[in-house]
Amino acid sequence: MRRGLIAAGLWLCSVMWHAPLAHASDAELLQLKAVYLGRFASYVQWPQQERTVFDIAVIGAHPLGEQLAGFYADKRIQGKPVRVRAAANVQDIGTPDVLFVALPTVAARQAAIAHAQDHGILTISDSKGFAELGGIIQITFVEQNVQIKINYDAAVKTGLHIGAPLLSIATVLRGSQP
Amino acid sequence: MKRLLSLLSLWAACTAALADPPGPRNDWYELPLDELVRVQIPPQADVGSRDGAHSALDATVPIDVYTAEQLLSVGQNGLAQALAALVPGFNYPRPSIADGTDHAPPFTLRSLNPDQVLVLVNGKRLHQSALLHTNGTIGRGSSGADLNTIPLLAVERVEVLRDGAAAQYGSDAIAGIINIVLKGYGHASQAQAGWGRTTAGDGLQRQVSLFHTTPLAGDGFINLTAELRGQGSTNRAGPDALDGGRINTHFGDADTQDLLLAWNAEVPRGDTSLYAHGHFNRRNSSAGAFFRRADDERNLPQIYPQGFLPRIEPRITDLSATLGAKGTWDSGTRWNVAYTGGFNDFHFYVANSLNRSLGADSPTAFDSGATSLAQHTLSADLSRDFGPHTLSGGYEYRVENYRIRQGEPASYQLGPGSAWYPGAQGFGGFAPENEVNAWRRSHALYLDLKYALAPRWVLNAATRAEHYSDFGSTLNGKLALGFRPVAHWLLRTSVSSGFRAPSLAQSHFTSTAMVRDGDTILQYGNYGVDHPVARALGATDLKPESSRHFTLGAVWQPTQRLTASVDGFLTDIRDRIMATGYIAGWNLAQLSPQAQAILQQHQVDGATYFTNAVGTRTRGVDLRLDYKQELPQGRRWHLSAAFQRAATRITSVNRAPSVLGVDMTDLILDPYTRVTMESGQPSTALKLWTQYSTPGYDLAFNLNRFGSYASTYGSTPVTFGARWTLDVQFAYHWDKNTTLTVGGTNVLNARPAQWGATDDDLTGSGKPIPYSQYAPFGYNGAAYYLRLGVRF
Repeated sequence: MRRGLIAAGLWLCSVMWHAPLAHASDAELLQLKAVYLGRFASYVQWPQQERTVFDIAVIGAHPLGEQLAGFYADKRIQGKPVRVRAAANVQDIGTPDVLFVALPTVAARQAAIAHAQDHGILTISDSKGFAELGGIIQITFVEQNVQIKINYDAAVKTGLHIGAPLLSIATVLRGSQP
Repeated sequence: MKRLLSLLSLWAACTAALADPPGPRNDWYELPLDELVRVQIPPQADVGSRDGAHSALDATVPIDVYTAEQLLSVGQNGLAQALAALVPGFNYPRPSIADGTDHAPPFTLRSLNPDQVLVLVNGKRLHQSALLHTNGTIGRGSSGADLNTIPLLAVERVEVLRDGAAAQYGSDAIAGIINIVLKGYGHASQAQAGWGRTTAGDGLQRQVSLFHTTPLAGDGFINLTAELRGQGSTNRAGPDALDGGRINTHFGDADTQDLLLAWNAEVPRGDTSLYAHGHFNRRNSSAGAFFRRADDERNLPQIYPQGFLPRIEPRITDLSATLGAKGTWDSGTRWNVAYTGGFNDFHFYVANSLNRSLGADSPTAFDSGATSLAQHTLSADLSRDFGPHTLSGGYEYRVENYRIRQGEPASYQLGPGSAWYPGAQGFGGFAPENEVNAWRRSHALYLDLKYALAPRWVLNAATRAEHYSDFGSTLNGKLALGFRPVAHWLLRTSVSSGFRAPSLAQSHFTSTAMVRDGDTILQYGNYGVDHPVARALGATDLKPESSRHFTLGAVWQPTQRLTASVDGFLTDIRDRIMATGYIAGWNLAQLSPQAQAILQQHQVDGATYFTNAVGTRTRGVDLRLDYKQELPQGRRWHLSAAFQRAATRITSVNRAPSVLGVDMTDLILDPYTRVTMESGQPSTALKLWTQYSTPGYDLAFNLNRFGSYASTYGSTPVTFGARWTLDVQFAYHWDKNTTLTVGGTNVLNARPAQWGATDDDLTGSGKPIPYSQYAPFGYNGAAYYLRLGVRF
């Protein structure tokens, strides 16, 4: 009996130790960002729609990748199933539809943005100054509320068309004004 | 046993089931875009951990976050008053006839002292006031930070850490930490004008403020806030039966005029950002001392035939400025170096007074001298993430300077006209022998680790070593553990040690006066611990107060809308610093002949000084409930309920210096001091705040229950009953940028319980002083206000 009790206790500890962190407020923030990604992407038109999978890449160390994979496992963006992958550096980015940039330095972000512009990739980040740097969509939170900043020129340069509903809820940068 | 095993297995199975990853937020995903962007994220906090902004609800230690919207919804112009209306356990009495304390009242957390709370602004230590509270008020013998030096319009949020954190942030973080976060990038410029008064017709409030933001490249910003604030005096004094029944005393809020400036700026350049923030406050204030009747021997009828009410009118200057740089290296390591300078100057002036001993030639206005405190802090921090773990460390160097400057001679002199009444009536000036210029330096090294033991377990460990030039070294540590057994529950606990360095004021404050005993001039008053008189009477260098903390709590968040938490806490403090009683042969029956000889030898009638006196245990519980619901058509309902119960008990008494020949209990713990420490602050506090918002208007209610508290009449404890107050505010949005607000504070016109019947001429129901100084919400009664706000 004692052995059984110990076994149950060990099993319980194991369950408790290794089970995923199911619910947390930080996770809520990630969930919201994951929702934004898909919803914003649905208002963007890419010049070519040949792929059968909607491809999202996350570059840099950010827990959003895991969140995205779970969240979009049973969802479609622009009518396509979603694939999420991580990229360690610019060479690994490839040509996804959306690139979430979570790199720590400006130079690294610029390199990722340059790659994205050359390959028609929608760039999104929560890094400060991302939109002015040439990124397309920047997500910032002020007083618990989201503020969306869209670099319209960068979107045009990348060959993307952003729908009016998305532009209407964002601060739109044209030229280089802050 | 089988049953136990079955139950255990069942519980484990349930746990595992509940632990499944949460369902995708399809409700968010299905929202129209304009409603999706209205979804609010959980409140973020910087304090408590050095891993950057994190959700306050996920922290391993209890943190409350109060938004600017909440702070502005309770109808108060000052930050301290706004927090007193919202934060349970934040006690902010409005003492009157308490010298300098009338003009910068202290606040406390968890029934402890004002100097046992650390205040940060944008994470940087805010200096304390130069004022040492020496009168019979809550916070007697301590100095605290003055929150009303920061304009409310500059504040984005206030984070309240409800745990000891000296092992992370250094001295003072015993009852908790208040971190004031100034508005940064992304706020709209706005102007505001307000007017209000009490229903009794006094306490006129006038306020104009401007917050202006200039966005810079890279999400940089320069934010400037300016405010002019006038708070008219209130008076709830009763009639003086010995003066023909007229009301001759001022018992209420001081008349204050404040100029406030605040700035916050960040200029990004690549991976480096230069930043600066700070504030400047100039306050001119005026409040009464005790009235001197015409026939009072302290009066000269040829100057004041009807008697006189001396007015203490300090000019207080407060400045804080931080300049720093922060950035990220290619490795991902974050760095931050900063300088913070703080300065507070409390200059006492007295008007409508006289120096009785100078006779009819006495001036009627005096410069009584000043106290000032300067604090300079240099800090360097490094922080790096290793996967889900964060390691931070840093170094801090701090220099402090405390000064007392003498007043003009007439403010302290003992002239030939009287043997007993030297100096300015109301507030005698600092004499040349009281002047102090004390310095202290400290170095600190700290390390902070956030370690994700497993997906469900988070460990925070911190240690901090400090060396102070006056009392030596301290080493403190903290362990906090968070465990999420099921999806919606967070269990958290922490254990830590802490300390509070004795303030320079407590070590060096010297304020004396003179009396004539025949041909001998005797001195009396408070002496710094290094003063020869104090040393001879057994004073020693002050040791730091040391503390031990334990918290245990749980957070329940069944939905994104609803959060509830419960946290129990226990704080033990040793060597609490207090002022002695008046050491004089006529006051202490057991005072040793040796001590009496020392007093005689130094020609001192009596003396007080600060000493490490007692140990206390504070324990209590905090309950929180927060519910927020987004409603159709842009409406929102937010309800926040909070309760705290905290009680402090004296658990140990240090030995009194042997030279005095008295027990420490007799020396310090008279009934008044004991009651003040153990029962002087409300043991319970209940706050219920709710706001219903629509695109057209906001309606807010704030219900408060201030628990009972006690003081002493003579040596008899007197308990004052609990009271309810209600604040109401209606804000009408004229258009997207213009808001007209009307509201009332304490609309039920609650007044604190009165002293009751006494045989005293001054204190008691229907007498000049009807209320206790400890009343937690003042004595003003109901007030109403009007405010116009414009965004641009």
